[in-house]
Amino acid sequence: MQLADSALPIGSAAHSFGLETLVAEERLTVDALPEFLRDYLAETGTVDAAFCRAAYRLAGTDDELTARWLALTQRFSARKPAHESRTASLTLGRRMMQLFLALENARDPGAEAHYSMAFGYVGGTLEVSELLTAAAYLQQTAAGLVSACQRLLPLGQQHATQLLWELKPAILAIARVADLPADAQSFTPLVDMASMRHVELRTRLFVS
Amino acid sequence: MGRLSLQFEYDAPSARTRLNVIGQEQPLKVVRAFHVAHGGVLVHLHNLSGGVLGGDRLTSCWEVGPGAHAQLTSTGATRIYRSRPGAGPARSSCRVHVRENALIEYLPDPLIPFAGALYEQQTVIDLDPGAGLFWWETVAPGREARGELFSYDALKLEFELRAQQEPVAIERNLLEPLVRPMASTARLGCFRYFSSFYICRVGTGDTTWRALEKQLLDITNRLTSPVITWGLGRLPAHGFVVRALSLTGREIAAGLVEYWQAAKQMLYGHDAVIPRKIY
Repeated sequence: MQLADSALPIGSAAHSFGLETLVAEERLTVDALPEFLRDYLAETGTVDAAFCRAAYRLAGTDDELTARWLALTQRFSARKPAHESRTASLTLGRRMMQLFLALENARDPGAEAHYSMAFGYVGGTLEVSELLTAAAYLQQTAAGLVSACQRLLPLGQQHATQLLWELKPAILAIARVADLPADAQSFTPLVDMASMRHVELRTRLFVS
Repeated sequence: MGRLSLQFEYDAPSARTRLNVIGQEQPLKVVRAFHVAHGGVLVHLHNLSGGVLGGDRLTSCWEVGPGAHAQLTSTGATRIYRSRPGAGPARSSCRVHVRENALIEYLPDPLIPFAGALYEQQTVIDLDPGAGLFWWETVAPGREARGELFSYDALKLEFELRAQQEPVAIERNLLEPLVRPMASTARLGCFRYFSSFYICRVGTGDTTWRALEKQLLDITNRLTSPVITWGLGRLPAHGFVVRALSLTGREIAAGLVEYWQAAKQMLYGHDAVIPRKIY
């Protein structure tokens, strides 16, 4: 639970993954948040959770771990068209792996990791259930998004908590469905483009 | 069943690319190749049935040999017709191999999925060292003039681009407008058309990419308006992807050509030659 906390000191609070642009361009409002968060998780969350589960399974293998880990990272990078979001995901993954390897005497996969992969690897190494690991990843992703929205939009504590609470069924459903990365479909062009355009914002609260 | 197998071969004595039609089965067909500037050839891809019908199985395989330059375009928009009950989805797969120092330019008209269409498209592209690629694809919301917007059943668009056997871009898009609303801010928001344009040249130095990135960002900022928004993504290696979301189709085509012109000039030192017929 400690490592699954969205407040884990790896810098995730510095990233909005394109939300800041969507708000700045007046495409995302408080009223649209319930639908947006649900759809974001159904699309991007499904892909992230599939890679989280794939990394979870790699934690239990000794056979060519580094080569397989690297291949998984490359495939995940190729699915992220926006440089900022890709870099953010790799940065968070690296910090999480560093923190985890400092806490536990675990095997280093020996190559870069995206955040959801690092999360899955931690779950697999600690032998938490695969489904719970994916659900916990999605939960802290949703918490991070809602937290970013609180800084970008007039969104109060109670409303934020309610939004997060109402996402629980979706989170559990996505964690179950997201299985193989190759099968995970998503379509989030507006979010991807928001992330691409983030660097052009004049005032930025977030790194991505 | 339709099949189209093409090979493009660079002929050193004439300094020209030659088209070899390895095989073609209706409804897919090419008629001839036209020579274009700098030794390339232009090929128009025909679908004799006028569109993609439910249950179709279309397979394309294109190989661009070392040093060759192939430009391919469609003869009009690709219409995806309604699938008859029980016919299953129409499927189209395209395998492309661009050999050492070869170039492919794939510049088709938009894809228009009609109401009730079920379509699966799979594209896999391999780039060898020095290979280049300009590849765009635009998807319309439907027959807009009939007021038919996002009335198709499903589009599954899979795209994988590899350079020297490593993945640099993977898309696994599933669009089901009737169950996953396109108007969601997580998807298209207020926009109706979307487009991707991949610009790659394997092995190009970082200085060139940085200079090109600056130019493409300038275009991105200049072309973005309330009607159309553009985005530029740097791939993990060897190139960029340009994305567009638009309320109309017209602005996308003109904008894509601007990006293409800038990138072709920077990466190859000469102008992009627009295929005759569409513009």
